[in-house]
Amino acid sequence: MKFSYNWLKEYIDGKLPDAKKLGEVLMFHSFELESVEKIGKDWVLDIDVLPNRAHDCLSHIGIAREIVAILGLKLKMPLANPKEDKNLKIRDLIRAEVEEADDCPRYGAIYLKDIQVKDSPAWLKERLKALGLQPINNIVDATNYIMLETGQPLHAFDADKIGKQIFIRRAGRGEDIKTLDKDKKAFVLDESMLVIADLRKPVAIAGIKGGEETGIDKNTKNIVVEAANFNPILIRKTSQKLKLKTDASWRFENGIDPNLIDFSLNRIAYFLQKVAGGKLACGKVDIYPKKVLPKKIKLETEYAGRLLGFEISKVQCVKILSSLGFICNDAGPKHILVECPSGRIDVVLPEDLVEEIGRIVGYQSIQSVFPRVAIAPPKRNDEFFWQDNAKKTMQELGFCEAYNYSFIGEKERENFKWPTKDLFEIENPISSLNKFLRPSLSFGLIRNVKDNLKNFDEVKLFEIGSVFQNKKIKEKKMMTGVFVKKGKKNDGFFELKGIVEQLLNDIGIMDIWYDDGGGALWQEFHTAEIKTAGKEVGFLGEVSFQLLELLGIKERIFMFELDFDKVVKLANEDLGYEPIVFHPSVFRDLAVVVPSGTKTADILNIISAVGGKIVKDVDLFDVYTGVEISEGKENLAFHIIYQDENKTLNSKEVDEAHKKIIKALEENPEWEIRK
Amino acid sequence: MDLTELKNRAKEEIEKIVDLKSADDFFKKYLGKKGEVAQIFDSLKDLAIEEKKAIGQEANILKKEIEEFFNTKADELKNASKQAGLGHKAEKIDITRPGQKIQRGHLHPLTLAMNEACCIFQTMGFEIAQGPELETEWYNFDALNVPKDHPARDMQDTFWLKDTRTVKNEIKSSKLLMRTQTSPVQIRYMESHQPPLRIIAPGRVFRNEATDAKHGAQFYQLEGLMVDKEVAACNFKAIIEEFLKRFFKTNIEMRLRPGFFPFTEPSFEIDVKRPDGRWMEIMGAGMVHPNVFRAAGLNASVKPGLGWQGFAFGVGIDRLAIVKYKISDIRLLYQNDLRFLQQF
Repeated sequence: MKFSYNWLKEYIDGKLPDAKKLGEVLMFHSFELESVEKIGKDWVLDIDVLPNRAHDCLSHIGIAREIVAILGLKLKMPLANPKEDKNLKIRDLIRAEVEEADDCPRYGAIYLKDIQVKDSPAWLKERLKALGLQPINNIVDATNYIMLETGQPLHAFDADKIGKQIFIRRAGRGEDIKTLDKDKKAFVLDESMLVIADLRKPVAIAGIKGGEETGIDKNTKNIVVEAANFNPILIRKTSQKLKLKTDASWRFENGIDPNLIDFSLNRIAYFLQKVAGGKLACGKVDIYPKKVLPKKIKLETEYAGRLLGFEISKVQCVKILSSLGFICNDAGPKHILVECPSGRIDVVLPEDLVEEIGRIVGYQSIQSVFPRVAIAPPKRNDEFFWQDNAKKTMQELGFCEAYNYSFIGEKERENFKWPTKDLFEIENPISSLNKFLRPSLSFGLIRNVKDNLKNFDEVKLFEIGSVFQNKKIKEKKMMTGVFVKKGKKNDGFFELKGIVEQLLNDIGIMDIWYDDGGGALWQEFHTAEIKTAGKEVGFLGEVSFQLLELLGIKERIFMFELDFDKVVKLANEDLGYEPIVFHPSVFRDLAVVVPSGTKTADILNIISAVGGKIVKDVDLFDVYTGVEISEGKENLAFHIIYQDENKTLNSKEVDEAHKKIIKALEENPEWEIRK
Repeated sequence: MDLTELKNRAKEEIEKIVDLKSADDFFKKYLGKKGEVAQIFDSLKDLAIEEKKAIGQEANILKKEIEEFFNTKADELKNASKQAGLGHKAEKIDITRPGQKIQRGHLHPLTLAMNEACCIFQTMGFEIAQGPELETEWYNFDALNVPKDHPARDMQDTFWLKDTRTVKNEIKSSKLLMRTQTSPVQIRYMESHQPPLRIIAPGRVFRNEATDAKHGAQFYQLEGLMVDKEVAACNFKAIIEEFLKRFFKTNIEMRLRPGFFPFTEPSFEIDVKRPDGRWMEIMGAGMVHPNVFRAAGLNASVKPGLGWQGFAFGVGIDRLAIVKYKISDIRLLYQNDLRFLQQF
C-alpha cells in the first residue's frame, strides 16, 4: 500500500527522519519497502504490508503506530468528536438486521441529514491522487480517506434511495446487482455471497462493492455511512468467485478488528461534517452480539532471549511491548501477562510477542554465535550420493547436464502419443505449454537436441529429474541421456550401449542384459529393455523415426532411460581386488555363420557355459555379410581368451575346450562354424 | 662404366637419407655382395690386364669413398637416434600450435551450486533430506500453518492438479499441487525423526507465475532445518554467515530484517550485498513456529529443557548461482544451450 509521508507526520508527535530514512527504518523493523517517490511537496512510500499485518497496517494510523514504537515517539490520534443533533434519532431513520452473526460479526452505521455533495477540497483530492485513488465527490472521498487513515472500509448510501430497513443477508441464487464502477458492471450472485439489501433488493455486495442504484449523486441530501465487519473467508471466496478485488475486500479478507468500528464511525462523522456539513443523527446502528475482548498472553521474558539469542531484560520487554500498545502486567518474577490490542489479530502466542520484541530491538543487533551441540556426523543420503556419482560418470563420458521444465504442452503430448489418462493435468496452467506434468525426461531432451543441432554436429545431453505419471507410483526419479552425431547409423546404438554399461558399472551394477523392447516413443527393432537382477530398469534405443519426422529432426537420436529409483536400490559401491593371473592366456578365433537376426547373446551364452572357467573373455570383433556369405546370413567372428588361474594351459587343453565349444554350437542346425 | 657418375649418384642418395633403414638399403644397393660396386669388380674379369688394373684401382678408391659415405651417415644417424631414443625422430615442432581439444562433459551450474551448498552444510553436520515435488495440500500449506482460505496462500501462486481421487472432508488434505517451497520436507522429516536434527533439503519448487529474466515458474530451493533444545536466531545467523562466506569465497555482507512466513515466528528476510553494491533478497528464514512442530507431532514449549526449538530457512539456489556465476538471465538455466552449458 502507498503511504503519504506528510499524512503520517500528522499522527506523530516528534521529529521524523526524512522519507528515505524513514523507509529504511521501517524496512529494518517492520515491512519491506517497494519504493520511495517524491510527488509534489509530499513523498509517497510504497510499503509491502504482508497478510500477517494487513488487519492493522493497511492504514496510516497503523504505520504511524509502528514508527512511534521504533523511534520512541508519541502517537497523536486525529479528532473524532462529531456533534450530534438531538432532534434526529437514528432509530427513526434507519434500522438494520443481521441474518447470521457469523457472516457479519458487527454492523455499524451513522446517519447524516442535509449534507452537501460537491467536489472535495484541493488538499484532499491531492492526497488521494498521490496514493493512487481517483477523487469522486466529497462524500465518497471522505469514506476513502478515512479508510486509508484507519484501515476500516466504509460505504456511504444515499439514504433516500434505500428503505428504512436494511438487511445483511445471503444473496438469493440469481439475484443481481449493478455496482458503482465506471462501467456499472452487473454481477449475478448466489447464496454463498453476502449482501446488504433493503426490502426490495441488494444495495451492496457486502465488504466488496456498493450498488450503483443507491450510490451518492449530486442531488443526494441524506446519507447512511456503513462501517461493518464481515467474515474474512466469506469475503475472500466471494471476491474470488466474482473476480472482483477492491480496497475493501482486500482488507476484509485479511480480517480486521470489529472494535475498529467505534473510532472509525466517529471519525467519519466528524470528517464528513467538516467537508460536507449536515446534521448527525443521535446514536448509531450497532449490531455487535459477541464483543471481541483483548487476548491475554503469558510470557516468560527470558524466552525472548533464548529464542533470539541475545540478552534482554524484563524491563526492556515491557517497554517495547507497551510502545506498540500492548498492556503488560507483572505475573511473577520471570513472567508478564500481556493484554493485546484487539487490532493485533496476528498476536496469539508467546512467540508472536518475541517477534515484536525482536524486530523493535532490530535483528541487526543479533550477534552470530555457533550452536553448541553434540558432534554427530550427518548420515549419507544414498539417493543424492548415487545421483552425484552418475552425473560425474556422464560428465567423464562427455555428456552435458540438462535441466528442463517439469511441464509439457498438449501439442507435445500429441506428438509423443502419450495417453492423457496417464498424465497429471494442471488445473490452472499459465498457458497451454504447461498443461501437463512431464511423464518422461525425453520431451525436454529431444527438444534440446533439436535446438542444439543448429549450432553443433554432436549433442550429448543427460538429465536426472522427477517425472510424473497418474499411476500407482505418482512421481519417480529418472535418468535419461541422448546422443546424436551427424551421420551416425546403427553404430550409434552400440556406442550408447557402451556408455550405459559404463554408467551402470560405475554404480556397481555389473550383471546387465537386454531384451527386445519398445513403446510409442521408441523405434521398432532398435530398442532394448535394460535388465538387471531380474528387473527391467530402463530402455536403450532410438527415438522413433516417425517422431523425428514430426518434430523435423533430421539426425537419428540414440537415447537411454533409467528408472533411477530402482537403480539406487541396486547400487553397490563395494570394490574388491581379484589377484592378477600371471599364467599366460591363449587366444583362439571362432567364426560362426548364422541366420540374420540371431542374437549374439545366445552364442555368447553357449561359449561361456560350455567353455567353463578357463574362458576368460569373449569378444565379438567382426560382423560380416557379403561375398562368400550366403544371402540372409551373417558371419560373426569372436576372439576367445583362455586362461587358467592356477597353471599354464597347454595347447592340448585349449584345443579340447575350443572343440567342445564348436561342437556345442554346431548342435544348432542353422549355425555353421567356419573352419 | 662411368665411375664418377656412380660416385655422384651415391653421394646424392646418401645425403637424402634420414633413417637407418634407408641407410641399410643404401649399403645393400652399393656395397652388398651383389651391389653396384661388386658388379664393377665382376665386370673386370673380361677385360685386358692393363685395363683391369687401371679400372680396378679406380674402383677400389670408389668403394672406399662409398664406404666412407655410408659410415659417416650411419654414425650420424646412430648418434641422432641415441638422442631421441629408440629410433624416434626428433624434428623441430612448433610448440605454439594449439593443443588438441579434449571433449569432456559439463555439469549444470545449478548442480554445481547445489553440490557446493550441500557440501558446506554437510561439514556443519547437516544431513541431506528429500521430498516429492508433487505434494499434497496438507504438507505444502496446512501443516506449515498456512490456513485454507487465507490471503497468506496468495503469497505463493500455486499449480494445482486436476485429480479425481481427492477425498473431501479429510483432516489431512490430499489435494495435489506442485510444491511451492521445499518446506514440506521439514514436516515429512520430523514425522519420522526425533530431534535433535539438522537437515538440508535441496529441490525443485514451482510457482504459477509468468517467466521473465528474474523469475521462473520453477526454481530450486535449499531448505534448512535445525532443531534442538537451545537453538536460537543467533545460531542461525552464524551458520548462514559461514555458509555464504564459503559459498562466495569472500566475506559477503548480509543483513537480517523482519519478514513474514506462516511457518516461522519470528521470521526473517536475508539480503546479501552484490558486487555492484545493491542488496539482493536470497533467503527467507525464522524460528520454527510451534504449530509446525505440532503438525509434525513434536512438542514445543517455552520451558527450557522441555520442548524443542529451532530455525528453518529456504535459500534460492538459482539466485545464488546467478550471482556466483554472473548469469544475466535466469531462463538460461532451463534452455540447455550447449554454448551455455559448456562454460561450466
